[in-house]
Amino acid sequence: MIIITRANITDAELDAIRERIEQHGMRTHLSRGVERTIIGCIGDESLLAEVPLRSMPGVEDVLPVTKPYKLASREFAAAPSVVRVGDDPSRPGRVAAFGGRAIAVIGGPCSVEGPEMLRESAEAVRDAGGVMLRGGAFKPRTSPYAFQGLGSTALKMLADVRRSTGMPVVTEVMDPRQIDAVAEHADMLQVGARNMQNFSLLSELGRVKRPVLLKRGLSATIKELLMAAEYIMAQGNRDVVLCERGIRTFEQATRNTLDVAAVPVLKRETHLPVIVDPSHAGGVADLVAPLSFAAIAAGADGLIVEVHPDPANALSDGDQSLSFEGFRSLMTRLGAFAEAAGRSLGATSGSATGAAA
Amino acid sequence: MTADHSAQAEAALQTLHRCRHEIESLDRELITLLARRVAVSKEIGVAKRGAGLPTLDPAREAEVIRRAAGMARDAGLNDEKVRDIFWHVIGLSRSVQVDE
Repeated sequence: MIIITRANITDAELDAIRERIEQHGMRTHLSRGVERTIIGCIGDESLLAEVPLRSMPGVEDVLPVTKPYKLASREFAAAPSVVRVGDDPSRPGRVAAFGGRAIAVIGGPCSVEGPEMLRESAEAVRDAGGVMLRGGAFKPRTSPYAFQGLGSTALKMLADVRRSTGMPVVTEVMDPRQIDAVAEHADMLQVGARNMQNFSLLSELGRVKRPVLLKRGLSATIKELLMAAEYIMAQGNRDVVLCERGIRTFEQATRNTLDVAAVPVLKRETHLPVIVDPSHAGGVADLVAPLSFAAIAAGADGLIVEVHPDPANALSDGDQSLSFEGFRSLMTRLGAFAEAAGRSLGATSGSATGAAA
Repeated sequence: MTADHSAQAEAALQTLHRCRHEIESLDRELITLLARRVAVSKEIGVAKRGAGLPTLDPAREAEVIRRAAGMARDAGLNDEKVRDIFWHVIGLSRSVQVDE
């Protein structure tokens, strides 16, 4: 249930409404927008059935939220959310914003293979207009015999490169036991497709003060993706960015099938930013550019692209990685698509601000 | 660096040192107050059982939160953050009442 308040509501009136709701064992969440302020109710709504909220001073309307996701739902927020990454005073560097007017592009290798290749990748991504670096430290591979990542050594390399290039970094966390170490070194924590419904991991990430990049599971519906986001948000962490990365279908010409329609559907259902991973969706480098263009045209707030200094010799996902030249070319061509979609390509700066609507 | 500058830096470091010291003693007071709050909550738990009242009292909790939010605003603090903190404080007290 959400309560839409009058534009001129006072703090005391807001307090009284929230107390009335919380008296029944529910919690409230406030979203202040330019034009309206919304109080969201979290908990068993049947408890409020007999409470005359509509007649309380300051209340304009009381609406049921029929969706199973509440905090993630569009109705719960007064405006689309802008998630800022790297905005930590203790860590000087650039800030990347997802969900504003600017399209944010994350680039980097599938896995961190060494300090040199990571630094080169970060600089190439940054100089081409990317706003964040990706790099896997812990790799969930389908085969237990495949390269599993460099683990904590890679985390330190990521932190070093963040310091030297100013680029915020995102890396995957696979296990609740890794969260503290990853949060200490990275600016954003990624939940991989295979862990999208690892609910103990999601709940733990809800208690962390770092934004989360949540990738859609291989066989997960949009509703399941939003419920996974709800798990994180229910624990207090509201900074979640969703990522469509292709789903499993009967088609075998591509690694996965990019669900382009998921982007506008998600943008309609949720206030959270939505980005697309064209590398995993297509599975081959040639498809990265066309899928990126489609994503931007469909309304995506950003992209996460695999970039490697020498894709032919990459330890993982070489086939789908762009070379530095390939990434530069993609970024150059992307500008026109961003403009056609009424957006711009995000350049980072120390004071980057999202265009909060 | 001129003599003026280094004197300024020295003064700033002294301020930093003094402020950190003050933070330490404030934290100590906060913990002491939390411990006292928990102890009083235990007493309330016993009294509730004695009076045949339920341990959980959402109406009372909502009242505590509302009062804290109002006091936070008056003190120039972010009332949303203080609300979050107080839900945790209430949780701390509630758990000792229930565990007893």
